[in-house]
Amino acid sequence: MPEFRYSNIEREMEVYGYDSFVKSHCRMCHGGCGVIVYVKNGKVSKIAGDPDCPIAHGTLCAKGLASAQLAYHKDRLTYPVKRIGPKASGKWEQISWDEALDTIAERILTYKEKHGPESVVFGYGTGRENEAVIYRIANVLGSPNVVTAGHFCYGPRICTSIITCGTNPIVDYENFPKCIIMWGNNVTISNPDEYKGEPFSVALDKGANLIVVDPRLTRPAARANVWLQLRPGTDAALALGMLNVIVNEKLYDKEFVEKYTHGWEPFVKRVNEYPLDRVEEITWVPKEKIREAAHLFATTKPAAIQWGVAIEQQTNCADNDRLLMFLMGITGNIDAPGGQVLNRQPNVVNVGQFGAHGMLPKDQFAKRLGGDRFRLASRFAILQPKCVWDAILEEKPYPVKMLFLISTNPLITSANAREVYRALEKVEFMAVADFFLTPTAELADIVLPAATWLEMDYVGDYWKRHGYILPRRKVIQVGECRSDHEMLNDLARRIGQGQYWWNNFEEALDYILHPMNITWNDFKKTNYIRGEVKYYKYKEGGFSTPTRKFELYSTTLEKMGYDPLPQHREPSESPVSTPDLYKEYPYILITGARQPGFFHTENRQIGRLRELDRDPIVEIHPDTAAKEKIKEGDWVIIESRRGSVRQRVRLSLGRDPRIVAAQHGWWFPEKKDPGHGWQESNINILTDNALESCDPAMGASNIRTLLCRIYPEAKGDSHE
Amino acid sequence: MNKHALIIEEFACWGCRACEVACKQEYNPVEADNGIKYLSVWPDGPKRMNGKLDFMWRVSVCKHCDEPACVKACPEDAIMKREDGIVILNYEKCTGCQLCIDECPYHAIRFDEEKKTAAKCNLCHHRVEKGLYPACADNICLAHCIYFGDPAEIEQKILEKRKARGGWGEIIPKAISMSKG
Ligand code: SF4
Ligand code: SF4
Ligand code: SF4
Repeated sequence: MPEFRYSNIEREMEVYGYDSFVKSHCRMCHGGCGVIVYVKNGKVSKIAGDPDCPIAHGTLCAKGLASAQLAYHKDRLTYPVKRIGPKASGKWEQISWDEALDTIAERILTYKEKHGPESVVFGYGTGRENEAVIYRIANVLGSPNVVTAGHFCYGPRICTSIITCGTNPIVDYENFPKCIIMWGNNVTISNPDEYKGEPFSVALDKGANLIVVDPRLTRPAARANVWLQLRPGTDAALALGMLNVIVNEKLYDKEFVEKYTHGWEPFVKRVNEYPLDRVEEITWVPKEKIREAAHLFATTKPAAIQWGVAIEQQTNCADNDRLLMFLMGITGNIDAPGGQVLNRQPNVVNVGQFGAHGMLPKDQFAKRLGGDRFRLASRFAILQPKCVWDAILEEKPYPVKMLFLISTNPLITSANAREVYRALEKVEFMAVADFFLTPTAELADIVLPAATWLEMDYVGDYWKRHGYILPRRKVIQVGECRSDHEMLNDLARRIGQGQYWWNNFEEALDYILHPMNITWNDFKKTNYIRGEVKYYKYKEGGFSTPTRKFELYSTTLEKMGYDPLPQHREPSESPVSTPDLYKEYPYILITGARQPGFFHTENRQIGRLRELDRDPIVEIHPDTAAKEKIKEGDWVIIESRRGSVRQRVRLSLGRDPRIVAAQHGWWFPEKKDPGHGWQESNINILTDNALESCDPAMGASNIRTLLCRIYPEAKGDSHE
Repeated sequence: MNKHALIIEEFACWGCRACEVACKQEYNPVEADNGIKYLSVWPDGPKRMNGKLDFMWRVSVCKHCDEPACVKACPEDAIMKREDGIVILNYEKCTGCQLCIDECPYHAIRFDEEKKTAAKCNLCHHRVEKGLYPACADNICLAHCIYFGDPAEIEQKILEKRKARGGWGEIIPKAISMSKG
């Protein structure tokens, strides 16, 4: 009888007759799992997990397994095109790379000359580890404007952790936390930055206690010791309540607080403004449960908080992040084994250096859109997208003439989609790089065919804080597709940036790695490189903050003119802040719960992933359904003050009847008209992007918590 | 004799659905979009259980029963239980009468509209015979809850995990009690 072994490469090769295999690093999401790609006749034949990968240990997700279906998709854009009809006419013509890049270069130089480099705005989404090259080209050009999801996704964790404790504290699953709070995410489905579900799952199997903070009953919530089913948008109040218990019952780490924190007294004063009675009233969570969770978290060592994006896409973004760090900090779990570690990256040229932020002249930095208003974001080169749409539409404070959007589909992902549409429709010139002609790309002048992770060499997870870098090795070439890195390297040379770029992108990889005295070719031979592993580093040198302490009272925010202490702010629309509106729109709408096969707007055309979730789903409580005369499976209209869309109903007991939970990211690639159904189920048609509703420091749009109505779709009242 | 079983501890399943896609990858070329499902993951709940809300993911797939109802139901002898424990549906012999589909207590058999036959998980026997794990059981599951091998050993592993978790989890997955019975 043959002996069984996981990922038995030799035997796979033998049995299936593959020609070769390549170990690489998936990038279908933020996860970055090590994979083995089997190749036959020059094509990807199978994708399997790589057990040598320290991130996912050979496990994979639905998206990773379906990557080849993305690479070889029949609708994929495989050569550059230019639009030959009006915007959104769907009329395109194939052009050469030279023509495409020369046209884009000519536009960049013309706008720079006439309107200043700030009139050229670059943008990216969450896709392809391209941030370093995009910032580099923008900074060298002198444009302070790179529009991203950074204002409300991961960027806030970076900004707030830098000002609080120096860097993003990452859960140390390797040393098995004994208590985990999963706060506003589900790592088993979504694999947020730095994290994969596998180590979390293993920690639970080792006996970790689990606390879940989520308005929805997810499987982790069902498995949790304590499920805190909060009112959406009240995370800060809940955290303040837990801190209140920990402070007043003296459950904190006294040595840490005394020696290593800044601002304990004002912090305690602030926390005392949130007694549990008040917190229960704000959050809807019974105070006994808050106390129970606070006790469990503070008295189990080590403990960690698995955090994610939901708390950032809110009015209270920066304070939410800071409060969770305070929970980690004062319980002594920061930089503790099994707690939350301030990792050291391997010694490479870091993303900030590669991004050439130092080359942006001071007077250009001062022109960053929204920079006066969202000062914390701006310090870290992050923009609030509405400032860009406004600059296009109203030409204030100056006109934006050109967008170059790379792996992003803001028409679906950015708040207040109709305004985004007007801006993309008006902007004088727009280039897009993507896999498909998305609804956003259909409004461009030129679309460049981007490479998937299977088609590029890169230093994987280069920008992350988990302490590893892993080689992403090119496996295949599809059509004329090029990686974002290669296309920008080429474009940069056409706009006179040659001296700051490379003959080919492999030289850039050598540059990234050169501090370790290795080249890309050397790195390619390794499975991964890990930075130095060391705990409690602050005990020697303090934290990398202005006070060298863990800042409960932020000296940076104080200097910027913000409240240095965290507080609860009501969402801009809520039963509490807008009771009159609540009468007209009587449900709290939450958005964005993840599906395993999709990555925001991506993968709706991938057969094996779409079959997992055919339709956009809105979950409502059966009581709500009865009241609104809605049945399971009905198509319904969800409406906010800004607009309405249709989604399909799933009845679920797992949420408060006052809450409606809609999916995000929906468009319909199977609809062949150039709109591809972008208005039909796109929840961002409902969301609010008013600057007043954003987080005051980060500019995070509040897309997670608003007010809506929901009612049956009248027959024949389809939106398309 | 080596007895093979595929056992999924549903208590631990997170509903990530990677196993579904792994199975699809094994049986369909990249260009083919869908094709028949041998394994499907579905939400059970949220529902009220003993006054508490509960929510689980269930994984429907052939359990390769010790006394398979499908084998008895098939008038063509197209389904058989092998020595090594695998219950194989022979597509050459299947006439598509669908009697087995009604009889399987786990709803693990589907009708392939294209090929006009019944279709079910044959436990990746082409892999197993060559010493390879079934596609879904080859360490892809983030919960490490898809087990392949000797049922008694698997039972032991699950019991150990349950102990480490502090007693959480079903006592014994159904398939084990079935194969004992
Ligand atoms: S791979 Fe594992 S966790 Fe994911 S759905 Fe399948 S059994 Fe569940
Ligand atoms: S098809 Fe159904 S009855 Fe037959 S072996 Fe599988 S699970 Fe048992
Ligand atoms: S054993 Fe093979 S055929 Fe059966 S469900 Fe798993 S992957 Fe599919």
